[in-house]
Amino acid sequence: MTTTTTRRAFGLALLCATLATALPPLAGAAGNTAAKAPRAERIPRLANGKPDFSGIWQTTSAADYDLEPHATRKDAPPGPGIVEGDAIPYLPKALEQRRRNFEARNSADPRLKCFTLGVPRGIYYPEPFQIFQRERDLTLLFQFGHSVRTIHTNGTDHPKVPNDWWLGDSRARWEGDTLVVDAKHFNDETWLDRAGNFHSDALHVVERWRYLDANTIEYKATLDDPQVYSRPWTLGVLLHRHREKNFQLIENYCYTLDYDPHYPPKP
Amino acid sequence: MKHEKHRSPRPAALAAGLLAILPVLAAAQQAAPRTPPTRGIFIEKSFPSIESGKWSGPRLADGQPDVQGHWSNTVGNHNNWTDPQGGIPGDPQTRNRKLGPRAERAPSRVSDPADGQVPFQPWAKAAQEDFLAHFFNPTEPKYIEPLARCAPGGVPKSFIWHGYEIRQFPGYVVFLFNSGTRVIHLDGKPHLPAAIKLWNADSRGHWEGNTLVVDVTNNNGKALFGRTGEFASENAHIEERYIFSADGKRYNYVARITDPTVYTRPWTATIPAVRYTAQDAPDGWHFETTLANHPKGEVIVERDERICVENNGGFGNVATGAPAR
Repeated sequence: MTTTTTRRAFGLALLCATLATALPPLAGAAGNTAAKAPRAERIPRLANGKPDFSGIWQTTSAADYDLEPHATRKDAPPGPGIVEGDAIPYLPKALEQRRRNFEARNSADPRLKCFTLGVPRGIYYPEPFQIFQRERDLTLLFQFGHSVRTIHTNGTDHPKVPNDWWLGDSRARWEGDTLVVDAKHFNDETWLDRAGNFHSDALHVVERWRYLDANTIEYKATLDDPQVYSRPWTLGVLLHRHREKNFQLIENYCYTLDYDPHYPPKP
Repeated sequence: MKHEKHRSPRPAALAAGLLAILPVLAAAQQAAPRTPPTRGIFIEKSFPSIESGKWSGPRLADGQPDVQGHWSNTVGNHNNWTDPQGGIPGDPQTRNRKLGPRAERAPSRVSDPADGQVPFQPWAKAAQEDFLAHFFNPTEPKYIEPLARCAPGGVPKSFIWHGYEIRQFPGYVVFLFNSGTRVIHLDGKPHLPAAIKLWNADSRGHWEGNTLVVDVTNNNGKALFGRTGEFASENAHIEERYIFSADGKRYNYVARITDPTVYTRPWTATIPAVRYTAQDAPDGWHFETTLANHPKGEVIVERDERICVENNGGFGNVATGAPAR
């Protein structure tokens, strides 16, 4: 018992030391009482006490180039992969489809048409997204395509008469300080990355969002799709808060690029 | 089941379908004007002015007046910028339908100058008329209304293109439009560098009592104001005032538009809007929502995701009722 207590205290001291350097404003406000404050008070919170993920976020990983481990190639920097166990457990038939997708990736990736990226791809796509949060929901605004995903946190369930949405339908609950999102009712039009990893319209995603510290979110998503995978599998990335002065999203309606030179009339 | 799902109405389908439907609705409305904003398409021929002043309604925790919810304009879509209920001039479907006296329809959205016309420089007036003359026979890409290609509605057209949702957060007012999303920054940071031009421009705002005051720059000028072809350039500066009524049921959008490249003088646009709530029936245009599936039956209005370019299969898809894929 004594050992445990000591360890915990030491851990807290370490944490405080880390936060003191990482977070001058918060640490300054907490001052000497910091040692007593539980870690949970160190993250932004809503008035109802739930973690407040508001902010502009982005991964630094190479996940969007290929979720699986890969050496460098002409169209992708190298990356260690973000899949637990390294390989996505495709059914044999689906593995063949993935191979065809990979061969055609430089023309068939829906991102090249600037189509909505889907879930979870929007989260680790290499452009920032912004979370706006209220008690009833989280609004995710993706710079790419400026598409909007709402994650409901107001006790509502998936709709009784669903559509097949590009971004699915997201209903969430809190497990302590972890936001657990159940997302389903997807279409089969989106890819998971530029390497042709894919899913069907039977995709079911369970996301887990939690703060590691006030400027870092640990994001995990478990994907289940009995038409494509032999078992559920999990990916994970860290999301970093953009803290550059005056940083903001810049709308990216890239699908207008082919025709926008025609407007407006010129003198 | 899957095919059934794919056939359910999608925004792109709706958008294209309305191209044909709306002139008819506007015409029908003149015959039987509707007064209460409770059901269906709500179109009015006149609207109250709202004075800027104190806000006495509910506030959010950060002090902003609480204007969250679902809103839509009350006079017509973007068929015609200066004669909102006049239809698209030259429309083959309504060419032989006689419009009544101008005074029987809603006023021009140009509230200043008094003649209701955009004070175009001669070259710009010619360009607008050229666009309109080709609207029904677009022989060149420049004659295709960009919204029909899923471009964002931009400023100010987004306020006359379907209903939209306002969500508010500390430091932000966010507009979720049918085509495009616009973030108003309330935190006082400077505008983006002038080299960046955007469909929805760059917006810095603050609240003055019941009025959201927004300074709009960095506009790319590509989103036309309507099917009649009015436009601004990338040099436009727009000063917006969203003036909310004390009961929270309406607001008037009043924008002063300055652009020395296109106009002879600054001018003012005015667009009235009403709030829709769970008491109103969704109508697929002004109020495009569903009720959430709440286990205890709580009445919660939700907005579906908006998709356009992904489903934009051209008008024929809709006309034949073919699945969107």
